[in-house]
Amino acid sequence: MTKRLCIHGLAIAGLLASAAVPASAADTITVASWGGTYQEAQTKAFFDPTAKDLGITIKQDTTNGLDDVRLQVTGNAVKWDITELGADECARGSKEGLFEKLDYSVIDRTGINPKLVHDDWVGISYTSVVLIYRTDVFGDKGPKTWADFWDVQKFPGRRALSGSQATETLSVAALAKGIPIDKVYPVDIDGALQSVDKVKGHIDAWWTSGAQAMQLVKDGEVDMASIWNGRAGTLKKSGAPVSFSFDQGVLTADCMVIPKGSKNKDIAMKALAKFVSPDLQANLPLYVDNGPANEKAFETGKIPQDRIKDINSSPENVKKQVLQDPAFWRDTLVEATEKFNNLIQQ
Amino acid sequence: MSIASASLNHAGRPDHALNGDALNADARREARGMLALLSPGLFLVFAVIIVPIGWLFWLSLFDENGQLSAANYARFFEQASYIKTFVTTFRVAFTVTGACVLLGYPLAYMLSQLPRRAASICLIFVILPFWTSVLVRTYAWLVILQRKGLVNTWLMDLGVIGQPLPLANNFAGVVIGMTHIMLPFLVLPLYASMKTIDVDCLRASMNLGASPAATFRQIFFPLSLPGLASGLVIVFVLCLGFFVTPALMGGGKVIMWAMRMEQTTSLYSNWGAGAALGVVLLAVTLALLGLFHWLLGTRATGVWSQR
Amino acid sequence: MLLSLAQSALPIGISGIEKRFGAVSILSDLSLDVVAGEFLTLLGPSGSGKTTLLMILAGFVRANAGSIKVGGEEIITMPPHKRNIGMVFQNYALFPHMNVFHNIAFPLKQRRVSAAETAGRVERALDLVQLNGLGERRVDQLSGGQRQRVALARAIVFEPRIVLMDEPLSALDKSLREHMQIELRNLHRRLGMTTVYVTHDQREAITMSDRIAVMNAGRIEQIDQPEVLYARPRTKFVAGFIGESSFVPVESRNGSVWYEDRKLRMTTAAPSAGRHLMVVRPEKLRLVADADEAGGVNLLPATVGDVIYQGDSFVCYATLKDGRQVTLRDYCRSDVLAKLPAPGEPITLGIDAQDVVLVADQ
Repeated sequence: MTKRLCIHGLAIAGLLASAAVPASAADTITVASWGGTYQEAQTKAFFDPTAKDLGITIKQDTTNGLDDVRLQVTGNAVKWDITELGADECARGSKEGLFEKLDYSVIDRTGINPKLVHDDWVGISYTSVVLIYRTDVFGDKGPKTWADFWDVQKFPGRRALSGSQATETLSVAALAKGIPIDKVYPVDIDGALQSVDKVKGHIDAWWTSGAQAMQLVKDGEVDMASIWNGRAGTLKKSGAPVSFSFDQGVLTADCMVIPKGSKNKDIAMKALAKFVSPDLQANLPLYVDNGPANEKAFETGKIPQDRIKDINSSPENVKKQVLQDPAFWRDTLVEATEKFNNLIQQ
Repeated sequence: MSIASASLNHAGRPDHALNGDALNADARREARGMLALLSPGLFLVFAVIIVPIGWLFWLSLFDENGQLSAANYARFFEQASYIKTFVTTFRVAFTVTGACVLLGYPLAYMLSQLPRRAASICLIFVILPFWTSVLVRTYAWLVILQRKGLVNTWLMDLGVIGQPLPLANNFAGVVIGMTHIMLPFLVLPLYASMKTIDVDCLRASMNLGASPAATFRQIFFPLSLPGLASGLVIVFVLCLGFFVTPALMGGGKVIMWAMRMEQTTSLYSNWGAGAALGVVLLAVTLALLGLFHWLLGTRATGVWSQR
Repeated sequence: MLLSLAQSALPIGISGIEKRFGAVSILSDLSLDVVAGEFLTLLGPSGSGKTTLLMILAGFVRANAGSIKVGGEEIITMPPHKRNIGMVFQNYALFPHMNVFHNIAFPLKQRRVSAAETAGRVERALDLVQLNGLGERRVDQLSGGQRQRVALARAIVFEPRIVLMDEPLSALDKSLREHMQIELRNLHRRLGMTTVYVTHDQREAITMSDRIAVMNAGRIEQIDQPEVLYARPRTKFVAGFIGESSFVPVESRNGSVWYEDRKLRMTTAAPSAGRHLMVVRPEKLRLVADADEAGGVNLLPATVGDVIYQGDSFVCYATLKDGRQVTLRDYCRSDVLAKLPAPGEPITLGIDAQDVVLVADQ
């Protein structure tokens, strides 16, 4: 008797609630990211807790980047409510007007580097480009700086750099010239290209994907390489004879956007607010080496102390690295990439 | 039958011939029927080939601001890397096609000479790689060819070489990987055409005094040319648009046209930039095919019309 | 004139040829002498080994044992391109990528004959097969008969000492085939090359050949001139394969041959004692009056079955007393027509003593 009443009461309350509040289990948003272990980590860190909290369903998809968003927006066929992009892609997409404005009364921006907080995009995580070398070749006396990497006399061996991410390779090329960390941006593109020119005859592979970079190092096809820290961490954990540090790393942010024309903009805004909140941000390094974009995550106490040194965006590690400036690349990417391609394909 | 007789009527005889009008009407009805039967196919060709290619061409004429412009084409001359990529693409295509002929012709010849049962078993081995993904096969080659891969390890263990051979992450790696993938495309049409060569023609040749070598040169080889030509064209054209293998085996140093399209499409905010690459590749490929057909066609017309 | 092969024609001595495919024996201990300049036909049903023998002669099939001598020279191990034997294939085997001229010039080119001489010889070969002026034609522009002639011209243009032909006329229609038979025969008479011809068509063999070797199951049953082969077949197979025959069982005892209780009159000696078969050709039988036993005619009482009128001739199927069917054919002369019996009527058939041929009853 009481039980039945209770059930009735809940059902009525549920009905009333769904009429009053847009968010309910029936609401579904689609989030796209890069797939793989990174997206699995995001699922555990961000998507599942958010879905539970808001009482919504989060469907997932994978993206190839800005051209996918462009295709959906210009083709009036927006499938995604939130998608992840590289920060320079966010900057460019913003210029092209591909994203919805973000409502910072819903999203709390405190703790996020202001360079990654914009009208229509916000930082979500960090990846670092680091220098990795094989310890079976160099012991622990391998190249530690990009200047070392460039020094083919002192460190003979096979080398790989990114051929697809011109921004990253030009940043490390600037570091290789001895430019201090805080002076790299704005990048002197011609100077960086000259620096690339010096080493390009000794580059045995220009990698075009993270998996390829990892394979090159793992199989000993190269002895040193630039590589994303997530891949480097995976290699080390798998027992490969490699060493890397965050010294002179290039910190690259990923961001999230709501593609223009999203049909669930309001719920997406709420979900995005959850994703960047310190509490959920602190979950990310528990599953993957990509650091949280919100530095307040380190104050939540959720991240174990011995883990903090491995996280690229910890206050300690951030100091050792160059932060890529998305606004800079927004304006120079096309020209710089073409020049870079001309150079490495000669 | 009735088309032929009716059109003769239509062309040659006055219409007031016996039943002339009725027969002409019948011919027209039949022609309309044929057109109706063909129309789904024609529509499909129009919808999935003509329209997209036209659209691609149209897109390539607009710059990033949506203005009519030749900028997408001018870029090929302004940026050295495009010409370089273009040359690389054709160098790879020619080399792979050549390697396929060198390997595939003897293979197809051997298959064509085997007894039927043995040939079909061997053909399975030729076709088998088709059932594995290109990606998997390319990675397999990487494992075999890289610095610490099977080939280099063996050769160095045997003391044949002192330094590892540069077989992967370069031009050689791309050619080896692509040749493996392309070989069946050459062998299958070639084998099919070799099977149609009348064994009595070869016997006749020897009977008439030609040695086995002369018989091969003067009879077998010319008769296998149509199959070789179609295999060549298939391999060459497929090579021009190849992506996966050069991307994985080229070590970023062998950039082919398709890889360039992918890069360009994500680099530029307008589709026209990538579309222009597509248009140029299509035009050059068609021009080359025309040239190829003209070169081989005039020499081998007799053979082609025979089949 | 060129293409006069008569003086250079060579004999072929084939002896002891064995050919097996696995456990199957195709040819067993086959021996055959082909006289220089003769037109010899290998006749037999399919599977009799005649084409295999031709292929061994040409060098396309390797025998397991045996010897082939051309003009005394052993060629059994010689590769085909050195044998200098011309051959016409069943499907002509013209080279589709060459025109008529180059097809015919092909053997001359292999022999490094000068261009000028090649042109002349091809011209004369075309002339010989009546294809003048068609040198520039593509092979696929020719009719079946024209292709046949090109194949022939190509096989003889290099003046081979021996020409082999493998059912060369089988793809042609009947009237063209009959025409070509005569043409081939005349060409052989003019050129006089030793020719081995393979066919399964007994009429063609009889029309064209100097001699016919009848083959069955990998052996030569009988080799003789066509008229001897027809008139005096030595085996039941030959009698049955060449021309129409009915077989009547007879018995030889005490130096005479008996059909039931009648002693056969015959012009040859009686064979060894035992059962034999009398070969009865339809045209050798005639209708006789019952009492008419004079003039060396053997009488066979029978009952009339069907009588079929064929215009110029008629065929009468009759049943002998023992139930065996025999066939009688005669021309429709008025005297014959006058005594034509009706079905079911008893008649007496006669066969002359000199027409009685006996073969072993296998």
